[in-house]
Amino acid sequence: MLKLSGVDSYYDRSHVLHDFSLEVPDHGILAVLGRNGVGKTTAMKTIMGLTDRATGSITLDDVDLSQATTHERARAGIGYVPQGREIFPDFSIRENILMGCFARPDGVRRIPDLVPHLFPYLQDNLDRPGGVLSGGQQQQLAIARALATDPKVLLLDEPCEGIQPSIVEEIENIILEINKKHGIAVVLVEQNVEFARRACDRFVIVEKGHVAASGTPEDLTREVVHTYLSV
Amino acid sequence: MVDTLFIGLSLGSILLLVALGLTITYGAMGVINMAHGEMVMIGAYTTVLSGIYLGANLLVAMPIAFVISAGLGWAIEKVLVRRLYGRLIDTLLATWGVALVLQQAVRLEFGLSFLGIHVEGLGPGLQNVDVPDFLRGTITILGTEVNGYRAFIILVTVVMTAVTWLIMNRTPIGMQVRAVMRNRSMAAACGIDVARVNALTFAYGSGLAGIAGVMMSGFKTVFPDMGAPMVVDGFMVVVVGGVGSLLGAVAASGLLGEINGLVAAVTNDILARAVVFGTVIVVIVLMPRGLFSFKGR
Repeated sequence: MLKLSGVDSYYDRSHVLHDFSLEVPDHGILAVLGRNGVGKTTAMKTIMGLTDRATGSITLDDVDLSQATTHERARAGIGYVPQGREIFPDFSIRENILMGCFARPDGVRRIPDLVPHLFPYLQDNLDRPGGVLSGGQQQQLAIARALATDPKVLLLDEPCEGIQPSIVEEIENIILEINKKHGIAVVLVEQNVEFARRACDRFVIVEKGHVAASGTPEDLTREVVHTYLSV
Repeated sequence: MVDTLFIGLSLGSILLLVALGLTITYGAMGVINMAHGEMVMIGAYTTVLSGIYLGANLLVAMPIAFVISAGLGWAIEKVLVRRLYGRLIDTLLATWGVALVLQQAVRLEFGLSFLGIHVEGLGPGLQNVDVPDFLRGTITILGTEVNGYRAFIILVTVVMTAVTWLIMNRTPIGMQVRAVMRNRSMAAACGIDVARVNALTFAYGSGLAGIAGVMMSGFKTVFPDMGAPMVVDGFMVVVVGGVGSLLGAVAASGLLGEINGLVAAVTNDILARAVVFGTVIVVIVLMPRGLFSFKGR
């Protein structure tokens, strides 16, 4: 699956990721945990090729992507749901979802079959502009757009951040369903340790730009949480 | 009065064709293309040369000029501009350099009879293009006789603007351009080849400027520096209309063209120019983002 080994990543001259390695289990969920500002979002951007410079190896199913451009990575099967969602506010919901189709190698341009089932509200409002949606709905829209790329692995950067609590559970269930039912691997950047423990197959904890700890959910003990995650 | 408005509209039309390309390239790519005016000049020279070598009239020259200036724009993007993304001031300087080189190249090739370089049928640097007979007379609109060629300019502009609008809003490539304008990295993460979109956008904008040059050649003298003022006027339209907005470009070029035409009719061209500049300043002070803009810059 998706594998990073010995990756260093930079914004201009600041060296953000140091010797960063992780591996996403086949059809599994990898949780990426850590305090604010340790480099989790940079790790996602590095996987997408959106930092200024990166060295080291990034492979997806043994295909080397470390020299690939961002759009080539998207076409190779990495779907990206960024922090802050970054939908196109003045595009319609339909256009926002179809944006993802530019990453499909087969050139098919239609709303993915998953959308009506997972996001009925979006399906019923395809012609409204994306900008009028609530935060939770915009998050759904960003996920729907990433699904339209027909991804092998989905990068979700804090999908529940800034969303009202009643919707958080809905988003969590959607993530689980995408992974468990449809077999799409997920990299989940998450602040909520409870959800991460419940959802993930493996986790990594990031500190100061490198992976400080990793393991299975059972290894995510109180001591580990206290050492690396409590503020 | 109708006649004056009509002249203003035709001035605005040329301006719009120039500004459409600028607003798309500046909006989508963050490039200030100072060589855009030279595409107008190249378009005008294409008209002159295709008249000499192909016996083609202005109508036939239009697609030829589009292809030539679009190709040149594409080459400039591939060779120079793509190395300068994210460096706004550098793009300004570098493309200005390109503009000077193009002007000088044309001057050397077609403009200086005293160097003995001479193209059959071309005069000493300044050329005129004959307007086809059927565009020469006047036509009657709203009971007023208006110049047929000016009507033709407006018609071509309306068609090209409509085509541009359709491409931008009804085709996948247009959607890619709009996405790149709004959020370059997210567009790339959605699988859009930003470099390819940039090259195509640059080429298309240059092609539109080439068409503007063809039409200018019908009522202005063709000479090597003719494009330089156009880029200034084009950028005034872009900042007044709002970066990246087609609607803004249409409104602003109509506004500036009419102000120019009306004031010039009442007083003179110099004063008209001053009033246009004054209007631009007032608009920028009151609405720094321009009349229509989807984003703050």
